[in-house]
Amino acid sequence: MNGIKTENKMSSRDAILSRIKTNKPDLLELPIINVDVFADSRNIVDEFVLKVEVSGGHVIKASTTDDIFNQINTMFPEGKVKYTTLENTAAFNTVDFDTFKSQKALENLDVLVLESDLGVAENGAIWIKDTTLPMRVLPFITKHLIIVINQTQLVPFMHQAYQKIATEDNDFGVFLAGPSKTADIEQSLVIGAQGALSLTLFLR
Amino acid sequence: MNHSEAATIFNKNEKKVNWHDKALWFVRHKRDKSAHSVEGWEELRNLGQGIKAHTLSNLDNYLIQFEENALKNGVQVHWAQDGDEHNRIVHSILKEHNAKKVVKSKSMLTEECHLNPYLEADGIEIIDTDLGERIVQLAKETPSHIVLPAIHKTKEEVDELFQEHLGTKPCGGDPQYLTGEARKHLREKFVNADAAITGVNFAIADTGGFVVCTNEGNADMGAHLAPVHIACMGIEKIIPKQEHLGVFLRLLARSATGQHITTYSSHFKKPRKGTKMHIVIVDNGRTEQLSRPDFRASLQCIRCGACMNTCPIYRRSGGHSYDATIPGPIGSILSPGKDLTKHSSLPFASTLCGSCSDVCPVKIDIHTQLYKWRQIITKETKQPYVKVMSMKMMGDIFSKPTKFEKVGKVARWSLRNLPKGIINSKPNVWGKERDLPSGPVESFDEWYKNRK
Amino acid sequence: MFIEIKKKLKLYNMKVGLFIPCYINQLYPQVGKATLELLEKLNVDVVYPSGQTCCGQPMANSGYENESVGACNNFVKNFNEFDYIVTPSGSCAYHVKKHFDVIPQTDEVTKVRNNVYELCDFILNVLKIKDVGARFPHKVGIHKSCHGLRGLRLGSCSEKVTPEYSYIGELLAEVSGVEIITLNREDECCGFGGTFAVVEEAISVKMGKDRVQDHLDNGAEVITATDTSCLMHLEGLITRHMQPLKVLHIAEILNSVN
Repeated sequence: MNGIKTENKMSSRDAILSRIKTNKPDLLELPIINVDVFADSRNIVDEFVLKVEVSGGHVIKASTTDDIFNQINTMFPEGKVKYTTLENTAAFNTVDFDTFKSQKALENLDVLVLESDLGVAENGAIWIKDTTLPMRVLPFITKHLIIVINQTQLVPFMHQAYQKIATEDNDFGVFLAGPSKTADIEQSLVIGAQGALSLTLFLR
Repeated sequence: MNHSEAATIFNKNEKKVNWHDKALWFVRHKRDKSAHSVEGWEELRNLGQGIKAHTLSNLDNYLIQFEENALKNGVQVHWAQDGDEHNRIVHSILKEHNAKKVVKSKSMLTEECHLNPYLEADGIEIIDTDLGERIVQLAKETPSHIVLPAIHKTKEEVDELFQEHLGTKPCGGDPQYLTGEARKHLREKFVNADAAITGVNFAIADTGGFVVCTNEGNADMGAHLAPVHIACMGIEKIIPKQEHLGVFLRLLARSATGQHITTYSSHFKKPRKGTKMHIVIVDNGRTEQLSRPDFRASLQCIRCGACMNTCPIYRRSGGHSYDATIPGPIGSILSPGKDLTKHSSLPFASTLCGSCSDVCPVKIDIHTQLYKWRQIITKETKQPYVKVMSMKMMGDIFSKPTKFEKVGKVARWSLRNLPKGIINSKPNVWGKERDLPSGPVESFDEWYKNRK
Repeated sequence: MFIEIKKKLKLYNMKVGLFIPCYINQLYPQVGKATLELLEKLNVDVVYPSGQTCCGQPMANSGYENESVGACNNFVKNFNEFDYIVTPSGSCAYHVKKHFDVIPQTDEVTKVRNNVYELCDFILNVLKIKDVGARFPHKVGIHKSCHGLRGLRLGSCSEKVTPEYSYIGELLAEVSGVEIITLNREDECCGFGGTFAVVEEAISVKMGKDRVQDHLDNGAEVITATDTSCLMHLEGLITRHMQPLKVLHIAEILNSVN
């Protein structure tokens, strides 16, 4: 189904495209992005930590995976529905992946632990992609989101982030900065709108 | 009602005007702090402007490329010439999937096309899931701002609205509680939705993907749970390459709210397994605007709302005073292109102070375009006889120095000698709240001649 | 120092024409006088061509550009022979520069458009004088009139991320005894806007009231600006509400000696 065709007339697609062709100005040059003009003297790890916190997230520096999961277990004790996609950490899971096939189970997810391989210092954004995500909705529907990332995976600006992503083929990906939030009621910031209520970042 | 009349009504409650002005100035201030922290901000604006202007000059080819790639990605692509066709397409997709319950994240395009009433007329439930949009939907209003749809509502008003529609307890307007209740209410809608509609912030020609930005996560909650995702976009949302997102995502949130990036910048390319993804590409007057050399730059807009937050008139008249889908300065240069007569007062709702053009992340010459629309409006729409004649008279006086001198003399004499009651009588709108200067005996001209 | 400048000016044989905007001519002649006296004090040979009226802005900004043609032509006729056209109005200077494309672009028109200067800009950047030798022992708030600020770029504006500067501020800072106060909103529009002041009366008045209040809140005794039109609007509100503030064009302050 390619648009709704009206009889005896050009398709809407062709009509729109032909109007653009007639109405557009002469071709203008596409500017080249020179990343050097944006360089500042900020330390990217410090900047990243600062910006994650500005966006409402918590940052914890950690050394090993064991250390991280010990801390998570302290933060979220027994009785919680927990799930991780990190390698060799399946023991942490309180549910099978299959349980998420039921909407109800999805809604009950308390803690989700994911790994990211790209963080952006200038805004605290963390890249989460399809290939490391068993279900797209998980980081949004979970009550608490935990992301593990290595310091070596940080880049200063979005420009470098896209250079890195350019080599990948992702069906879906999201730059995520802090927990879900809104300021739609009188500009008062409220953390926890429709998505995750909290974001904790473990920086290795 | 024209803008001035609506603004006069809004200004009857000065306390509310102060409150509205302050709320938006606060956002403008956050934008300043954020923009000023970026090395090379002005260069970033140059790039934003340059990429968008280039894209418009090659728009047909980029749209073709986008469609080709989107189809390869397994996405169905539709084209709509106007709002009505857009609505029919969305409706037919929903029917095809037997979708009765729909969740929609923010999309000014669907507002522009009046999609909600169209679908509701066929018994389809359509829920706006952005909190601000849900608030105005419950209040049966339209958004008064493109980024902060419910900025005109006080927390007490939201409290009452939620009590009535969501059965919440009176809370004195506690935003935390109200947001929590909205979360529960919307969660139920997300889980049961048959289809999700989202807008599109950027559509990337060379990947066929598109990006949707939200802070609440509502676009993702909708799109990743429902079996059908329909994304609606105007033709001007295209950018050539994915790397250009680096420029626009740096500009967008900082300009909009002062955040360094929105909480979620979701990059959609392929539908998830077992589900359908549709893109509706809409013209609805955009190609016509593209044909106008003086006004085509308005299509560069990335809908950040910075021009609204900075506009001293918008802040003191409220978004609804513009009676247009897109209010504020950018709306005042877009709307006349759609209906010149209906929107003829909007380009005059400005002092041409130029703040909008300087705050704009893609450097649209908004105030210059306002000036140019004024020239067209006075020619092509009916103007009050008094206005036309007084302009003719002024033009004549100012082209003849001796006439100017005589008229000046009479004016000064009147200001000096007539009682204030007469000077400030009703026809003198200036005098309602302002005094006029007292007329000096000598003009500068006269003083200069007598000087030597 | 002044003698040096005079020599320099004579040397370059600089012909300077004074443009006094229509409403200053008729309603605020003291601003015109101060401008002329100030320029003469700075040893500039100023000619005031008789027969001048208006830059055409009132008609053009109201959407009647065609009705401004006569005024534009009259302006060009009066000023085409000058190397510099100086005016105590950023707004009028901006109009000549930006909107005189409504008349055919003859060499004379192009010359006039290139040579028009707002007063502070001329003193600071052409004469290269910062201290004009004035004294004004008062607390002064600077209202940065929009057309001068964002049109002529007579200063940096808060929207753009550029180095900070302000021509009027630099000149005022050198005036002996003056205390420049800081405003909460450093460059918000006053709401005059030409016919906007009557077409959108409610908003215009509200913007003006807010601008006045910002000055009062920060202890200003005087509001100054590069444009008397903004000041006329603010003064109208101040006198109606009997507020303890005065308005003075920057030329009047720079021309003060006690």
